[in-house]
Amino acid sequence: MNPEFIRTICPYCGTGCGLVLKVEEGRAAATYPDRENPVSRGSLCVKGWVAHEFVHHPERLTSPLLRKGDRFEEISWEEAIALAASKLKETAAKYGPDSIGGLSSAKCTNEENYLFQKLIRAAFKTNNVDHCARLCHAATTVGMLQTLGSGAMTNSISDLAGADCILFIGSNAAESHPVLMGEVYKALDRGAKMIVIDPRETPVARNAHKLLRLNPGTDIPLLAGMMRHIVDKGLHKTGFIEKRMENFEALKTFLQAWPVEKAAKETGIDEAVIREVAETYARAENAAIVYCMGITQHACGAANVIAVCDLAMLCGHVGKPFSGIYPLRGQNNVQGACDMGALPNLYPGYQAVADAAIREKFQKAWKADLSDKPGRTVTELINAAGKDIRALYIMAENPCISDPDVNHVMEALQRLDFLIVQDIFLTETAKFAHLILPGACFAEKTGTYTNTERRFQLLHKAVNPPGKAMGDFEILCLMGKALGLAFDCNSPADVMSEYAGLVPAYAGISFNRLERAGIQWPCPDESHPGTRFLHGEKFTRGLGRFVIPDYTPPMEKPDAEYPYYLNTGRVFAHYHTGTMTRRSPFLNREIEDPYVEIHPEDAAALGVGAGDWIRVTSRRGSIVTTARITDRVVKGSIFAPFHFTEARANMLTNPVLDPACKTPEYKVCAVKMEKDHEAKAR
Amino acid sequence: MLDQVKQKAKEILEKKEADGVLGLRKGLFDVIHPHVFTVPSELDALVLEPKWLFAKMARAILREKPQAWRLAVIVRGCDERAIVELVKRNQIDRERLLTLGYACDMDQAKACLCSRPFPQKLDAGAAVEGVDPLADERVKAYLEGDAGKRMEMWAAQLKRCIKCYGCRNSCPICVCVPCKLEDDVWVERGVIPAEMISFQIIRAFHLSDTCVACGACQEACPVGIPLMTLQLSMREALKKDYNYEAGLDANRKSPVLFDFAKEPRPGQAVPDWVDSMGKKP
Ligand code: SF4
Ligand code: SF4
Ligand code: SF4
Ligand code: SF4
Repeated sequence: MNPEFIRTICPYCGTGCGLVLKVEEGRAAATYPDRENPVSRGSLCVKGWVAHEFVHHPERLTSPLLRKGDRFEEISWEEAIALAASKLKETAAKYGPDSIGGLSSAKCTNEENYLFQKLIRAAFKTNNVDHCARLCHAATTVGMLQTLGSGAMTNSISDLAGADCILFIGSNAAESHPVLMGEVYKALDRGAKMIVIDPRETPVARNAHKLLRLNPGTDIPLLAGMMRHIVDKGLHKTGFIEKRMENFEALKTFLQAWPVEKAAKETGIDEAVIREVAETYARAENAAIVYCMGITQHACGAANVIAVCDLAMLCGHVGKPFSGIYPLRGQNNVQGACDMGALPNLYPGYQAVADAAIREKFQKAWKADLSDKPGRTVTELINAAGKDIRALYIMAENPCISDPDVNHVMEALQRLDFLIVQDIFLTETAKFAHLILPGACFAEKTGTYTNTERRFQLLHKAVNPPGKAMGDFEILCLMGKALGLAFDCNSPADVMSEYAGLVPAYAGISFNRLERAGIQWPCPDESHPGTRFLHGEKFTRGLGRFVIPDYTPPMEKPDAEYPYYLNTGRVFAHYHTGTMTRRSPFLNREIEDPYVEIHPEDAAALGVGAGDWIRVTSRRGSIVTTARITDRVVKGSIFAPFHFTEARANMLTNPVLDPACKTPEYKVCAVKMEKDHEAKAR
Repeated sequence: MLDQVKQKAKEILEKKEADGVLGLRKGLFDVIHPHVFTVPSELDALVLEPKWLFAKMARAILREKPQAWRLAVIVRGCDERAIVELVKRNQIDRERLLTLGYACDMDQAKACLCSRPFPQKLDAGAAVEGVDPLADERVKAYLEGDAGKRMEMWAAQLKRCIKCYGCRNSCPICVCVPCKLEDDVWVERGVIPAEMISFQIIRAFHLSDTCVACGACQEACPVGIPLMTLQLSMREALKKDYNYEAGLDANRKSPVLFDFAKEPRPGQAVPDWVDSMGKKP
């Protein structure tokens, strides 16, 4: 057999780079960059280059597994599906439809997400379906819906290359979305200004013209101070505001409370710097704001997003090329999972479950009776586990590492009557399951992902899933049928035409149009080329709206007992819960052990040297990890990547939620540290 | 030109000169990807664009196959030169590989800053003259003039590195096992940007006499670092002082390894890579 080369899409981040997998004797043997992919154009980051490495890992799940006491026993698919269906049905009959919950997956395809939410909604008449977007960009969806009318990134990645000023707020794209940085650097080489707002001196910050190391969680004061200065100086775009915006007077009133001096005091940034940065942004012909978890993962995440939108709209930097607002999506398909309605209050295409006409449309299409009551979010589902929620179906998510306060999550999962976990490895979450269904990874399926710039892109199946493992699409079809639904979809392409028929913005999208370069939604009909930037003629919501961002300082501040701020995030060589990257030898060689970044002065005070083992403790838990001593963090703050199962940063984080969007405050909590002498000895 | 290449490739398969032909295929819905063609009729789907280098892929395929299996590779000039260098280093068995070469057009040569946009064994297309990379303004900015300023420019570029290893992975000649970039002595693990002296400069030195100026490293670099420019001074120095160019003559060994000891002309020793343009300040 000669090797085959299969074009597909990277399974890691939301940039959506194109890969070519080399398949030898049924095995994914190498990865090459796809020179034709319109996003990555022949580049990949380190994770993409070794995307094949975990595919045939010996620890892949190869059979359905049933819990028998402390261990798991292999069972057949017939048994597994029958058991899953009957347990879910039983639970719903006994405790009511809202006792069932489902976590869909930003790692799975659009078609799988569509089927998953349809399954939960149509089979059980509940809207208890959500996914990990709750933990990252729910604040974006909520905030941008109020201001612009759409939670999606307004422009395309390639637009960044044409910007004259790029403002990064709480985004470390050089590690989290590395390939996208190429477009940013093209702009810099043209002479654009790059400003980074981050408490940490990240790799992005090191390439910026200016770094504003603000106090943790003080984004609204900073943005308000900037807006105040812009308005005072008359640098706002009056024409744009008059024609396209509403509620400007309210914003002006709000800004009265934020003189630059006060913003400076709150943020710890020099007044002159705030003024200068505000002017640079406002005066630029085209300016972009790139933001990420540093904005959303706060107790006032939605308000942070609103403040970002307000600033952009104030300066007229939305609705045109080379500018706009860039909430960078984390997961490869988190955009798609949201688009496909894996959200408790929205059907596919962001259509509200509470809207009777819309519900009617979906009831007719799905031939099912649907609930009008918005369901529970990820964090609420887990909090209610064993109480109102009795059975949970988790598809390819790993809340035991990714959710805040994981000790609490693990307790909650154990309280469930029945937990189904569908995944490719025995994850930390799967260990608590009653039933495990072995799914397939990116290389083993056909379908689509939607990247951070709203681009539907096609995956092609390159190899078969291992052993008896099955594509998630096929598993969902079996589950649907077992639950009495008409899930006789033959292929992902069929499912795509089903949802294209239900969502006007995807109406023109079909598998054969996607092959070469994908399509950016909205794409309302078959001759429509897709949409490079949103809000051009008018905002999705009609007029853009200035909304008042309510500032809440971080919920947990350092005190005498827990004297340090903890910030969490990602590193370039690993991805999220590490399920795949930590099983990739090349990536694991790059970073093997968990670590926290500590400022040299703090390290000296604690007597900690580089590489020493230390114990980090918060009010919720404690981990043992190694120390990296660096002034990339400010004194009094530490940074911990959250990928490591042996030292889960989310043992420490604070599960306090933003009331508007239910996103937890991952970015700030208070911890203490000590040198761990025992760990050093082992 | 495409038809000519197709025709010759078909002949190769028909006459059983090779068991497979490595090239680009345009498949269903115009999707383009590398492919090993084994039946002549398949070659109707052959295409030549975009630029996609196969030397390293060919090496990997041959390693998987039995000794008697032969491969024909459809190559551009730089790809042919890369194969020559791999043959010199015993990475490819010349007996098992034949090339089917075609010329690039002037646009491609300009995009690549290529001085030799054609293979020596030219089977299809007409060779165009190519361009002098050292005359390019951007290249000049990085290689000529005030050393301090250039150092700043290089540092600003190299600081962008996200350590994707794409330069190494896509370079047709970067094949060492173990690789020095994965050696803790030189490159610190787990941090970006990679330290410039120990990462990019080590790589540049390792390829100083082998680089065929294909530009693959630079094209794969997600952050746009002008990596090929890093090699050009050394290539120029070898050309000037030893009349040596990598990838041209399979029988001529690198002067850095073999002629260096033999007393180069006074003042003409292989110079420091940054200041090798003969225009020292
Ligand atoms: S940037 Fe993101 S999509 Fe691209 S290769 Fe890296 S992880 Fe994959
Ligand atoms: S480097 Fe030269 S030979 Fe290679 S593709 Fe470019 S022009 Fe053609
Ligand atoms: S140009 Fe770059 S990729 Fe090509 S041979 Fe030289 S170093 Fe390698
Ligand atoms: S290709 Fe560019 S970013 Fe990647 S390792 Fe090489 S120099 Fe660094």
